[in-house]
Amino acid sequence: MDDIAVRFEHVSMAFPGVLANDDVSLDIRRGEVFALVGENGAGKSTLMNVLYGIHAPTDGRVFINGRELTDHSPKAAIGLGVGMVHQHFMLVPSFTVAQNIVLSREPRRGRVFFDNAAARRKTLALAEEYGLEVDPDAAVEELSVGLQQRVEILKTLYRGAEILILDEPTAVLTPQETEELFAVIRRVVREKRMTVVIITHKLYEVLAISDRVGVMRKGALVGVRDTAQVDEQTLASMMVGRPMLYDKLEKTGTPGEVMIEVKDLTVRDNRGLVAVDKLSLSVRAGEVLGIAAVEGNGQSELLEAVTGMRKAESGAVTICGHDATGLDPGAIRALGLAHVPEDRLSTGVSRDATVTDNLLTGRHREKRFNRFGFHQRTSTIERYAREIYEKFDIRGSGTDVPVGDLSGGNMQKVVIAREFSFDSPVLVVAQPTRGVDVGAIEFIHRQIIDRRNQGCAILLCSADLDEVFRLSDRIVTLYEGKITGEFTGEFSKDEIGLCMTGGQRDKEAAS
Amino acid sequence: MKKKRDWGYLGSLCISVLLAFVIGAVILAVAGFSPVKAYAAMASGAFSSARHIGDFLEYAMVLCLTGLACVLGSRVGIFNVGGEGQLLLGAVVGCQVGVWLNGQSPWLAIPAAALAAMAVGAFYALIPGWLKVKVKVNEVITTIMLNTIAASLCQYLAKGPWKNPNKNMVAATAQLDPRYWFKTLIPGSNLSTAIIAAAVVTFLTWYVMQKTSTGYEMKLTGQNPRFAFFSGIKTDRIVLACMCISGAMCGLVGMFRVYGAEHLYRSSVSNQYYFEGLTVAMIARYDPVTVIGLSFLFAILKIGAQGMELSAGVPNQIYLIIQTVVIFCMAAESGVFASLRAGAQRKKARADIRRKEEESHV
Ligand SMILES: Nc1ncnc2c1ncn2[C@@H]1O[C@H](COP(=O)(O)OP(=O)(O)O)[C@@H](O)[C@H]1O
Ligand SMILES: [Mg+2]
Repeated sequence: MDDIAVRFEHVSMAFPGVLANDDVSLDIRRGEVFALVGENGAGKSTLMNVLYGIHAPTDGRVFINGRELTDHSPKAAIGLGVGMVHQHFMLVPSFTVAQNIVLSREPRRGRVFFDNAAARRKTLALAEEYGLEVDPDAAVEELSVGLQQRVEILKTLYRGAEILILDEPTAVLTPQETEELFAVIRRVVREKRMTVVIITHKLYEVLAISDRVGVMRKGALVGVRDTAQVDEQTLASMMVGRPMLYDKLEKTGTPGEVMIEVKDLTVRDNRGLVAVDKLSLSVRAGEVLGIAAVEGNGQSELLEAVTGMRKAESGAVTICGHDATGLDPGAIRALGLAHVPEDRLSTGVSRDATVTDNLLTGRHREKRFNRFGFHQRTSTIERYAREIYEKFDIRGSGTDVPVGDLSGGNMQKVVIAREFSFDSPVLVVAQPTRGVDVGAIEFIHRQIIDRRNQGCAILLCSADLDEVFRLSDRIVTLYEGKITGEFTGEFSKDEIGLCMTGGQRDKEAAS
Repeated sequence: MKKKRDWGYLGSLCISVLLAFVIGAVILAVAGFSPVKAYAAMASGAFSSARHIGDFLEYAMVLCLTGLACVLGSRVGIFNVGGEGQLLLGAVVGCQVGVWLNGQSPWLAIPAAALAAMAVGAFYALIPGWLKVKVKVNEVITTIMLNTIAASLCQYLAKGPWKNPNKNMVAATAQLDPRYWFKTLIPGSNLSTAIIAAAVVTFLTWYVMQKTSTGYEMKLTGQNPRFAFFSGIKTDRIVLACMCISGAMCGLVGMFRVYGAEHLYRSSVSNQYYFEGLTVAMIARYDPVTVIGLSFLFAILKIGAQGMELSAGVPNQIYLIIQTVVIFCMAAESGVFASLRAGAQRKKARADIRRKEEESHV
């Protein structure tokens, strides 16, 4: 048992109405990178939460380094050497990086006073040791998601983790950041003989980083393989229980009138720096314009300014021929825009509200949902929500539960379902499939292309370049708030990569 | 949408109240009183005469309106601690409007006074609301400070410009023309026709919050303001409106106290009543229906404790002890009962699995 870091013995975990883990038995070896894959809601996060002591399993036993986890609490699990970085980060936004890292085990001066200098020192030493560069004095709320994740990892290392669980770490990262993360993983496994469990939806990442891979479906572990002996196709079919078919998306129709027009737009970010710099672009009806950019190059601020979530400093935005500059999101929606936001947790849903409430918002003033214009028709609303819920194949325990109880991918489906059901002439879509499983990605992509074929103008932004390539009719690259290239028809990925990192496209080649 | 009654919550509330009475009994016994006699005196203090019943109904009305005013703020994510100031200002201004209009028909004077009281309460709540929305100043701090200012201002008005002409009345405004007084429903008690108006306001508040699309927008705004704004709701406007209505309700309570019970303004129109209402709202977890129910319970306790003091000589602080223990238990409840409930759920889930296994063996 010496080389076994984690052992699950017949672990089951039931939530009201859902069997999230169904008799899972699994050994994870010391010093390996173990990948866990499966559709949204397959029970991967739940299984890892059991390991981390968050949930006490309804049945079965868990051993860590040969010792049974009896007291099911994160404290006990941490004590046995487990560290976990959650899908949704658990940091204190207003604290600095160093304060977050030492949280709950703060260095003290005279037993009472928080020793900030020691906290900084320890942070820097740790960052040095593992090659994870951070600014110890930056407030966490000012950091990009990628950096926040780095802080989370450092936090677990500070607490002495030997077994590191990463729940969909790459869902929020740019390709470069993902590469860096993988380098860190390889280093800690090789040099510190750590054990890493990584959950991901991207099968090529599984092949790139892991030694072994476990596939989950509907709560059960359906198979464990040596990574060297599988390919993406096998994994995909194990996940969904049938062979996956990547059909080509059929695009029809020709672009029509200009529906989104951005002119000389300048927008500042939260820190007051220029994030979008005198940028102009337009999107026509029946066209998908994809934005390819490394995170932090102004794409978030651009979309926020277009949708009214952020005030532009100068320039103009026109939606469906109407001036939308400076309007609030409600007014812009009234012009015919729907919006899938980049961050579904803070913006896309209200976690405490029910699925029904989340699906309703935006149309709650419609006549059919209100008697006399103000009295909510509960049963009509219920029926409407059920219909959308089924149409978009959202999986969870019904429309009555808080959206926060759904898995990440299903939460995203709630957002997509609501925004797409407006049938608006203009759609702004950011990160549509972040942290979503293969089956759902296919579904969401189809929805986007269907809307395009029906003549909707779509502005798309995604950290997943393959997604941008697959869906877009036209691609612009953004670097430091400026457009560095525009691509239609034939182009090479290398060229786009070059423009994303600041290179200008050869003027001749640009058509 | 549909909200099932939370039986677990009601259960733990009952247990908390029971426990509070037990602890109160122990304290009474230690202090040398007979708990049985004291509680009997309490019950008779609240129910023995029509006058006492009237008094507790009036107090329940105050708790209910102030509690709902607090709930209204919390619905949009604002903790309005400033109700006391809004109430006092409503009382003094409402009263003075009646004094100014002396000689006019009650049909003019009373609505004018009510409107003035609501307007001043609304305005006084608008200040912290505006500061919160536009400048992001924490409303708890501003409302607490505004309470102090309002109390001093009312004291000044009652001692200075709007002073009662009678030299013996030190800090009070002139008395209202008896034609303007709300009709007493139970002679000798504070209960007046104001309770009918209060019932209407209570119903409307509940209705708007629970049944209308405006209430839905309020709820979303309170839960996640960024999401509400994103989905097209004018969140700033809703926050300000709720703050104003909350303030207007407090102002109205002040006016009810003057026209229904005191008939002039003096500081006894409110003895930190808003804070008692706020306590009720917190114990009720900001659920409007629970606020209504708990208002009666705490009003009975308070008036009963006063009766107990008179007849059995037990200090009425026992009321405070009981109230405090209930609050304490309800706070602990979230921890204790949550873990009990989780245990029960686990058990049930385990049984589900076993059943499933047995079925699969068949
Ligand atoms: N705390 C919870 N309460 C109730 N149901 C939950 C909870 N956490 C997860 N679930 C349910 O358990 C199932 C598995 O979820 P999860 O482990 O998050 O899936 P994955 O991480 O594989 O996407 C889902 O149906 C989800 O809705
Ligand atoms: Mg998950």
